[in-house]
Parts: sequence; structure tokens; C-alpha cells
Amino acid sequence: MMDRRAPPLIHVIDDDEPLRTALLRLLAAAGFEAQAHASAGDFLLYPVPDRPGCLLLDVRMPGPSGLDLQAALPEHGVGLPIIFMTGHADVPTSVRAMKAGAVDFLEKPVQRQNLLDAIGRALVHDERLRRERDDRDRLRERFALLSPREQEVLEQVVAGKLNKQIASALQVSERTIKTLRAQCMDKLGATSAAELGILVERMRRGSEG
Amino acid sequence: MLFARMLRSAAGRILCLCCLAHAFALAPLAAMADHRAANVLVIYSNGRLLPANVEGDRGLREALSGGAGPAVNVFDEFLDIPRFSGPAYLSAVTTYLQQKYGSHPPDVIVAGGAEALAFALEHRAALFPDAPIVHMSVPKANLGTLAKLPPDVVGTPIEFDFDRTIEQARRWHPQARRLVLVTGAAAQDRAWEARLRDASPRLGKDWETVEFLAGLPTSAVLRHLEKLPGESVVFTPGYWQDGEGRRFTPRESTQALVAASSAPVYVPFNTFVGIGVVGGYMLDFEGIGRQAGRTVNEVLHGAASASAAATATMPNVLNVDWRQVRRWGIDERAIPDTAVVHFREPGLWEAHRLEVLLAVCVVLLQTGLIAGLIVERRRRKLAVQAEQKQRFELVHASRVAVVGELTGAIAHEINQPLGAILSNAEAAEMILASGARRPDELRQILADIRRDDLRASEVIRRLRALLAKHQVEHQRFNLNEAVGDVTSILRAEARRRGATLEILLPNPAVTMVGDRIQIQQVLINLVLNALEAVAELPEPRRRVSVEVEKTAGRVTLLVRDRGTGIAPDQMPRLFDSFFSTKSTGMGLGLSIVRTLVEAHGGRVTAENGVDGGAVFRVELPAAGANGKKKREQT
Repeated sequence: MMDRRAPPLIHVIDDDEPLRTALLRLLAAAGFEAQAHASAGDFLLYPVPDRPGCLLLDVRMPGPSGLDLQAALPEHGVGLPIIFMTGHADVPTSVRAMKAGAVDFLEKPVQRQNLLDAIGRALVHDERLRRERDDRDRLRERFALLSPREQEVLEQVVAGKLNKQIASALQVSERTIKTLRAQCMDKLGATSAAELGILVERMRRGSEG
Repeated sequence: MLFARMLRSAAGRILCLCCLAHAFALAPLAAMADHRAANVLVIYSNGRLLPANVEGDRGLREALSGGAGPAVNVFDEFLDIPRFSGPAYLSAVTTYLQQKYGSHPPDVIVAGGAEALAFALEHRAALFPDAPIVHMSVPKANLGTLAKLPPDVVGTPIEFDFDRTIEQARRWHPQARRLVLVTGAAAQDRAWEARLRDASPRLGKDWETVEFLAGLPTSAVLRHLEKLPGESVVFTPGYWQDGEGRRFTPRESTQALVAASSAPVYVPFNTFVGIGVVGGYMLDFEGIGRQAGRTVNEVLHGAASASAAATATMPNVLNVDWRQVRRWGIDERAIPDTAVVHFREPGLWEAHRLEVLLAVCVVLLQTGLIAGLIVERRRRKLAVQAEQKQRFELVHASRVAVVGELTGAIAHEINQPLGAILSNAEAAEMILASGARRPDELRQILADIRRDDLRASEVIRRLRALLAKHQVEHQRFNLNEAVGDVTSILRAEARRRGATLEILLPNPAVTMVGDRIQIQQVLINLVLNALEAVAELPEPRRRVSVEVEKTAGRVTLLVRDRGTGIAPDQMPRLFDSFFSTKSTGMGLGLSIVRTLVEAHGGRVTAENGVDGGAVFRVELPAAGANGKKKREQT
């Protein structure tokens, strides 16, 4: 799995070589490790190392644009936050980018402080995402321990049914339900029915998002 | 009457002149009485061809034939003095006449000239003593030298008015200082010379110099006259004989003088008019003849003594040759109304009044027309200038508008290097702040900053060139470079629209003549048009290509897109102003393309490509082919 303490890696994707070089220099001077790519295709050509970091992405490039890449990243299993850069910000583009989850939208020429701030925010965001992802992973592992019977009971419990109702629905004794319910709480590490509901909700949201 | 006849038949020709005069005074002549034709014998002093005689004869015959009564026989005889002279000759002539006219005795004798009168009087007894004598052309002075005339010798004397002629010349040539008088060597010439010499004291008052050329050889006279100073006037009555003894008629001698003379020549005889003399106060020989004829008529009718014997002289009239007036610059206003002007050419106005009026009208109409055309031409020129200016303004305005559309691309083009510069500068700052000694890296950063700065300013320079309201140029330029200058902005615009722009330029580069900026404008308009055409397509298909080709003397610029092409019904109006298929378009882009291309002597066409989409083809003359064409157009 990933090394959460690995230093962040910044991916700079811009078709303009001089700008790319300058950004790399700046990031290096600021103490960041950075990688440059001339196009979206270039970036996707090699597997993205699973390290904290973010994408510094030009909106308009020959070939697939920055927005295209943004849309394509989930398919490639890349969850890095994106900072967009543009030479000429037009509102529809920036709205689209932000809706699609961009962390920031910077206008060229980008001032250092703005850039570093944005990168800082992006890394924080990345950190949070990674933590959420870890939590979800752990939750999924715990849910995976549940037997099919226990899952059935859990669904009913989260739906707010009483033990008696559940027992009648599954045509087992109320006692059996109590036992299965206790096993669920044990396996998922919950202490109350309410806590169970929160966990299930997080689980559902996590598998969706 | 009976008495008269009796006298003539019975007493013959010895009756005393008194009786005859009495009879003459009382009754018409016998010829008139018995109605036979009267005989008139005219004896001239000189030769038959003397102009004075010819004219006198004409006047005489005119008067005689015009008279009432029976026909008159006129016989002419010429004594031909001074060529023939002497008592023997005259005596022979007398005999001759006596014999000749014995069978036709004259009823009246006309004596033409002083010599003829003298002859007739001297030989009257031997000739026809009964016939009354009418004299003509006899100077008054000569009458004075003769013995008192018998009563049946009548006539109107003449008087040559040399003085008045010379006075007239004085008036007409106020600048003249020298008067040259030319006379000959014959007796008559000497008589004229004497008259002039008598007058010379008077003439000396009017003229600074009075010069006599008297009795010289004609050649010497001519030589002298050729070299007269400008302010001279010549007067001559002509001469009969020159210093070498050559004989002339006065008219002939005068003709020679006039031909040679460098000064105006005045004469006293109207028969000289027309040979080049200016004129003078002259006797009218035809008039003299007429007067004599009238007197003859009166004598024949027996009732004329009173008028015929009148002592008045024939009038002298100022005659002038109009051509000479012109030649010598005589003031026309100084010509008296009574003067007889010869050879006056009717003025254009007098001769061709209608034609002149018409010509003037035509000229006026033509002038009006020309003036109108000039005004119209000027107005047209101004209108053309105004139109060119407007077109220029429109082209420029359109270019500004198009550049406005390209703002995004331009911002990208400028911000890209600016961004690099800023990041490089900030990186350098941080490197320096960190205290790390990395001079090579800093040097490289500075080099990059300079390069990017130049890149940004180059974008601005090109932009300024596009936006400037420049004078339309007509110069050779490298088309590849011109296209290259706008390539980066067009590419940036294409990228902004998610399209791809391919540009294919020929190698070696193409040179053409024209306005570089306007050709760039053509390219920009066509490319933007093509980008519009592909805007609705999925991004991978948004492709526009520009291709420049050179073929024999022509440069072809092709702009292709992969859009939906041009609908057939739009094709004819494609290049019209304000025709647009786009909701936002002004419809000026393509019309301006056509304006500019045609101003460069080229043409632009549109068609649908074989693989879909539209193809715009601009054909322009390459440099060298029609390099000097259409300088004045926008």
C-alpha cells in the first residue's frame, strides 16, 4: 500500500516548455519535488506513482485539454487534486473545472504565493482524501467480515426496524436477531444502533464516491 | 439749222471760228439733226495700253453709249508721245488722220492729254476744223501755258494733287522723318520733278529730310530704296524714262520701285493702286473719261457749252490699298470716311456671320461641356477618394474587431511568456534567499527570462502591426513570414476553441507584392471563418488547414475546414456584406476578404471539399508577374 509519509510529488502539465521549466524551477526552489509533462497524453503514458501530491494543469493544450484529463483521471485510478492554470480565464471553463472538483483555478502569470498557497491547499485536500479513502477501505474490510445473515439483519436495523419486526420478516426468533445484531456491532466496532447507521451511511457514500 | 448746213456745204471749212462757235452754241450738230450716227475721234497723247488711257476710254465709252440719241462711232488714235515725237512725226500723223477720217469726218474730237490737245489745236486747220474739241486729262497748269482756247474747245481740266498725298502720308506715318521723292528723266518726268522741287520748301517743314532721286538709273534707285531706314516714306508719280534712257509707263516704273522699297510708297494715280502702293489723292481716270463723255454728249446735243466750259477741275479722291494699310501698320481710324478703300477683305464677321455665330455657339457649348465634364470628373475623383477612405476605415475597423475576437488567444500568447518570466524570477529570488551558490542555474534563469521577454514583446509588436492604422503599402514581402507572424495567435485561438490548425508553407518561401497586413487580415478572417465552421463538431474533428502554394506566377492560399460545408443556396451570397449564417456574425469577414484580395489583383472562391467541409481558395499574383499593378487601390 501507499506510504503516507512519502514526500509529495507535483505534476506540472503544460505544453509550453519555457513555462514548464520555470514552474519546475520555482517548485524546486520551494522545496517540492515536481515532474513535468508536455501534454495530457504524456502524463497518462506512465503509471502515476501512488504518492501525495497534486496536478498543476493547463486548461488548453493541443490534443486533450486539461478538462479532458480531469474527466479521464478517475478511470485511470488517479485521485490527485487538480489546480488549473489558464492564460485567459473564461467563466464557463472555470465553472466547469470547479464543478468537476478542481481545487483551484489560477490565472497566468501565477504569482508564487498564490501558487504555493494553492499547492498547500491541494496537498491538504489530498491528505484528507487519502484519509477518507483509508477510512473507507477499513470500513469495507470490516463489512466484508459480516456473514450474509448478519448483513440482512444490519440492513433491517439501519432501516429502523425493531428486533421483533426483523425476526418476523426473516422468520427467525427474536433472540437470534439479538445475537446477529450484537455480532454486527462487534465486527463493525459500533457501540449503538445509531453508530451502526452512521457507519452504513459512510459505507454507502464511500462506495458511491 | 438750215443755215448751218448751208454754211457747211457752201462755204466749206473756211468759216471763221466765231461763226462756228455761234452755230455750235445755237444748234445741235448735223449728225444729230439727220439722225445718222455721230463720229467721235479720240486722240490720246500716249500709248494705247497706258492704264490711264484704258480707264479713261472705258469711262468715255460708258458715258457715250449711255447718252440719248443715235449710236456713236468712237475712233481711237494714239500719238504715243513721248516715245515718238517731233514736228515731222506729228505732221505725218496729221496727214494720216486726214486721209483716214476723210470719209468719216468726226463730229467731235476728244483730246486725251495735254500733248493731244496741243496737237489738235496746232493741226486743227489741217485736220477737221469744224469739229469741236473736248479735252480730257489735261492738267490745269498745261491749259495755262496754251494760248487762250477757242470757244468750241471745252473740257474739265485735271490737277495732280501731290501735296495732299504727301500730307496724308505724313499723317499716317507720324514716326517717319525722311521723305524720298522719285522722278525720271523724260520731259514729263522733269515737269513732275519741277513741281515737287517747287513744293520742297513747304515739305521741309514737315519732314526732317527730303531726298530727291531724280533721273537716276532704275537699278540705282532700286538699290537705294532697298536700304531705306525704317522711318522713310516714298512718293513717286512714276516715270517714263530713267537715267539710262530706259522707257516705262509710270505704272511699270512704280511697280519696280514698290517691289524693291523697304518703305511705304505713295503715288498720285489711281491706276497704280494694287501694285503695292499705299495710296494717295488720285484722279479717277474712268471718271475723267465719263466726264468727257458727258461733255461730248452735250456738245452733240448742242446745248452744253455752259457746263462743258466750266473751269472746275476733276476732283482728287483719297485712294488706299487696305492690304498696305495693314502691312505698314497704319491706324485704321486715321482713314477718312471719304477715302476709297481697295482690296479690303471683308472681316470674318462680315463674310461669314452665320458660320461665325455657329462656331461660337459650338465652342461655347463645347466649353460648357468640357467644364461640366471636368467638374464631374473632379467630383467623381473626390467620391472615389472618399469611398477609398471609407473602405480603408472599414477594413481597419474590421481588423480591430477581429483582433478583439482573438483576445483570448492573444492573452494566452502574452501570458505564457509572462508566466514563465514571473516564475523564473521568483525561483531565482528563492534560490538567492536560500543562500545556495548556484550561479549556473541563475545564469540560465536570466537567459530564459530574457528570451521569454522577447517572446512576449514580439507578440505585442505583431499585434500593434495588425491594429495600426497604417498607410496601405505596395511592397514586396515574404508571404511565408507574413503567415508565420500570425500563426502563433491563430494557433492559440484554435487551441482555445479546441481545434487544430495545420499550416503548410512552401519551400522556398513565396514573395508577393502588396500590403502585408491586409494579406494577413485575409488569412485571419478565413481561418476564423473556418474555426467557426468546425465549432460544433466533436473536438478531434475540429481541424482547419492552411496551405500556401506557388504555381506559375500565382500564389494560392487554401483554407480548408472539416465542417459541414457551404449550402448551395448560400454560395452566391457568401462574399456579400452583412451576409452571415452565424447569429453573432456581422457578415463582414468574407466580404472584406474579397475586397482586399481584389484590391491585390487576385480573386477568392469558395467550394465544398471532396472530403466534406469548405475550401476557400485565394489566388494572388506573385511578385514579378504583375508586380506594378494597381498601386492606387486600397
